[in-house]
Amino acid sequence: MHTCTTKGQEKSIHVPTSAFAKEVEKVEGGEAINKCIQCGICTASCVVANATDLYRPRRMIQKIILGLREEVLSSDQSWLCLNCRMCEERCQEGVSPAEIFLAVRTIAAREGHVPRVFKEAVKTVLEDGWMLKDAYTDFQEDEREDLGLNPELHMNNEFVGKLRKRYFERKKAAEESGS
Amino acid sequence: MTVDHPTQTNPANKDTQEPSALVIGGGVAGMQAALDIANQGFKVHLVEKTPSIGGHMAAIDKTFPTLDCSACILTPRLSEVARHPNIELLTYSEVKRVTGKAGNFHVEVIRKPRYILEDKCSGCGDCSEVCPIEVANEFDEGLGFRKATYLPFPQATPNVYTIDKRDHPACRINCPAGVNAQAFVTLMNQKKYAEAIRIVRDAIPFPGTLGRVCVSWCEGQCQRGEYDESVSIRNLHRFLSDYEREHNTQVTVEPQIKRSERVAVVGAGPAGISCAYHLARKGYPVTVFEKRSEEGGLLKYAIPEYRLPRDILQEEIQWVAKHGVEFVCDREIQSIDELKDEGFKAVFIATGASHSNKLMIAGEDSKGVYHAIDFLDRVASHKPVELGERVVVIGGGDAAVDSCRTALRLGASEVTMIYRRSQVELPAIPSEVEMARQEGIRFMFLTNPVEVLTQKGTVQGVKCIRMRLGEPDHSGRRRPIPIPDSEFTVVADTMIIAVGQSVEPIPLHNDLDTTEWGTIITDQVTLQTSNEGVFAGGDCVLGPATVVQAVGQGEEAAISIDRYLNGLDIRAGRDPEVYRIARPKIDQSTFIPQARAEMPHQSIASRKGDFSEVELGFDEDTALDESGRCLNCTICCECMNCVEACDRDAIDHSMKEERLSLNVGAIVVATGYKLFEVSKYKRLGYGKFKNVITAMEFERLINAAGPTQGHLIRLSDGKMPKNIGFVQCVGARDTQKNVPHCSRVCCMYGIKNAVMAREHDPEAKVSIYYADIRAFGKGFEEFFEMSKTRFGVNFVRGRVGEVDENPENDNLMIQVENTETGSVEKVEHDLLVISPGLLPADDVNILAEELGIALSDEGYIDVRNELTSPVDTSKMGIFVCGCADGPKDIPDSVTAGSAAAMRASIVLGGMIAGQDSEHTIESLAPEAELETTKSR
Repeated sequence: MHTCTTKGQEKSIHVPTSAFAKEVEKVEGGEAINKCIQCGICTASCVVANATDLYRPRRMIQKIILGLREEVLSSDQSWLCLNCRMCEERCQEGVSPAEIFLAVRTIAAREGHVPRVFKEAVKTVLEDGWMLKDAYTDFQEDEREDLGLNPELHMNNEFVGKLRKRYFERKKAAEESGS
Repeated sequence: MTVDHPTQTNPANKDTQEPSALVIGGGVAGMQAALDIANQGFKVHLVEKTPSIGGHMAAIDKTFPTLDCSACILTPRLSEVARHPNIELLTYSEVKRVTGKAGNFHVEVIRKPRYILEDKCSGCGDCSEVCPIEVANEFDEGLGFRKATYLPFPQATPNVYTIDKRDHPACRINCPAGVNAQAFVTLMNQKKYAEAIRIVRDAIPFPGTLGRVCVSWCEGQCQRGEYDESVSIRNLHRFLSDYEREHNTQVTVEPQIKRSERVAVVGAGPAGISCAYHLARKGYPVTVFEKRSEEGGLLKYAIPEYRLPRDILQEEIQWVAKHGVEFVCDREIQSIDELKDEGFKAVFIATGASHSNKLMIAGEDSKGVYHAIDFLDRVASHKPVELGERVVVIGGGDAAVDSCRTALRLGASEVTMIYRRSQVELPAIPSEVEMARQEGIRFMFLTNPVEVLTQKGTVQGVKCIRMRLGEPDHSGRRRPIPIPDSEFTVVADTMIIAVGQSVEPIPLHNDLDTTEWGTIITDQVTLQTSNEGVFAGGDCVLGPATVVQAVGQGEEAAISIDRYLNGLDIRAGRDPEVYRIARPKIDQSTFIPQARAEMPHQSIASRKGDFSEVELGFDEDTALDESGRCLNCTICCECMNCVEACDRDAIDHSMKEERLSLNVGAIVVATGYKLFEVSKYKRLGYGKFKNVITAMEFERLINAAGPTQGHLIRLSDGKMPKNIGFVQCVGARDTQKNVPHCSRVCCMYGIKNAVMAREHDPEAKVSIYYADIRAFGKGFEEFFEMSKTRFGVNFVRGRVGEVDENPENDNLMIQVENTETGSVEKVEHDLLVISPGLLPADDVNILAEELGIALSDEGYIDVRNELTSPVDTSKMGIFVCGCADGPKDIPDSVTAGSAAAMRASIVLGGMIAGQDSEHTIESLAPEAELETTKSR
């Protein structure tokens, strides 16, 4: 059956194909998911896909449209996006895979699907205030000494405190008050 | 139809007027509409913007899905349109204004001048053969070349050549003598030196002389100067003259005197000689009277020999004499009556301005003080000059620089030029100043003499004062103001004053009105003086000016005298025209700057000692190189080769734009489409990589009538491509490029091109990269299948990401995801063809506004109802067909053409039946329906 829309309004010709696609559509960044026609220009333009066979952005979008919710959320794929947005630049349909993967990560993180490496990185920062503590070597110590700087590094606890407050405690509080 | 009276409608015609239609656009849809209307007995005006009808279909090699030869289908239709008694073909024309309503539209059509008379041209092509100008051929997508005089393609209809000419060339417009610089530069670039110098001589008798001494206004305005440096036009016509002398190729001249009226010219300077030359060429017997003992005026008596060797000047004067001009020297004319008594019917006075101005300071009459013209005259006439060791020259013009360099050559050890303004305001030719500086002339700017210091009546020095520059004066230059108490003394034993010249009061001038400065008053255009039949020009009218201005005035006076003696209005049609200077079409990104050729000079050491020529002239290679720098601003250079070549007198370079006004009952818009500019897709490398081409370029490359005679080659090396890729959906279905709609034809023409590539070379590998194939028409799906099975075209589902060039072999590396396998493929192609989408034709929005019809969001013409009235626009009586309302393939365009013709005929038929046309229209589309179905 035809539905008439008045001119100027966008015609709703795309129908969400799966519950998961609808879910992603509602998350900020995921709105355009159903416009994808699977042409593959995102993969063809992707710097990560260019470097490794393990990463295929179009495939991910396809899985979302197909509704493979668990597979998508538990996969590392959406976390591999470098967010360079070349796919967004070139997509002829107005879809931004980079934005969609952000939306997917939001959902995944909410449900605890965060790859180990990300978790550890966050943990390190929260503990040390510095992600690359292990990289601080004797050589650099000597260099600092030569330059007249204090070779002992003092972690900035104030910064870590603020970080915790801003991103973890406040969020937790918000979640608690929300529920 | 009335010509040239746009506002005037013929009332007698209005009631009895036969119903006619206007079709805008001569592509295949417009042709179909025109034929269908015409075949019903109505008159049709078919207006087409380009020189030929046929549209894009004429450029396409094959049609899909049947692989018919496009030209074979189209050509019979072209001639049918051309031959049809009811169709008036208005090519190279544009619709400018439309008023009125259905049944009675008033249309104003502009016919662009094609400079060739359509009814006389037989399309033989003789004009094109001799045309020296070559430009990129639009019909071949810029891959080949065409002449400025051209037929777009062999079957062009009407079969009439067109001259591509735009505005006016800056060089020619700015030359006071009107030398057609663009033409002679173009011709000499093709080594047609004799033809080139003939063009120079059409305007001036002095290619060699002016090639040395002209101030060259042409170069000042040369459009090449906007990009790097102007073309060295002056030195180029000097080269022509040098080449002619060196190779003895002068044409022999016989006097062509065929008139009885004798004309007298007074003064054998550049103005007088030029006037005599042009009159003699018109067949008049001319006598030039000169009071000095030799002809040449200031060219002979003032310009130093190191700038203008006297043999050059003498030969050019002799060449004028060979036209039948009689020179009478040593005779000063005292009055006009003296000449009239001798039987002269007209007189041209060119007595010049050779009287040196005085400084009006104390001591100016002392021994050792010369005035520039007298000084140069003495030197040029080999009379003795007493010159000291230290010479000061006062002034900043060419006479001052000439005096300095002459004094140096006469043995002065120290020459100083004193000028009251700064170097910026120096009026002398810059190259002359530079050469003077090289020779060791000293310059003292912002200095003015106040007193000549003398001892026993002989110059000892000059007392000078420092100046500063104030506000600009009436000449636009900054006025020099003395700085108080800044006087100082310059030691000198000779002083030459070169502060301008004025007209000498001579008895002859008593018969004429003169200004307070003694110059003769003339009409600015005709140069006629207060005395009828007496004309004047050159310095005696202008005050001291340049040689080329004098030569130009001589030519103008010759035109006046010719008209005067023929009893014609001497003024008519000669008012100064407003010119539009042509700007060359230059792609800044590919333009390679090239400095102008440097004039070789005699070494400073050797030239300082004598009067041998300083500038040695270009050699042939330099001249060819330099003439190649001309940008051909106006495309056609008016060399007039075509006029000579045409046996049918069909060429008229003076043709002007013409306005027609038409009355029509119905209008069909068939303005077609243009292709998306694929260079906007930077990642695909079009315009950067030579072997990335568009589908239309591919069509021309495989077409037997194309630039390669149908040989499919790579543009980088001319090799046959063995692995071709086709990229689909470029400039269509792309929200980012503002073209979200599908162009409907790209899939099929892409497949067709792929099939043709295999046809041309069955060995070649051919791949198409697509998002999805839309094979929706009759026979399309079968064709798509056949391309895979029978022709072996490889289809890869995936849009192309990156294109990169392999610098070793100019092949193209593309990156694409094969979405059927999920693998990212890097493929090397030796030719990549981009299939661009379709866009509305240029300026269709302007036309729509003039017609008062609505456009869709995509910029195409909107139709009233896609289901019930698919060819009606939003305005009654105006219909649309072809790609003007959206992308269509050829069969659909033709169908729409017929449909639009039918709708238009209903309106026209209603007019015949005497029905109120609005009634007819209502039957076409009831008002009520309009509202509801408008935006489905």
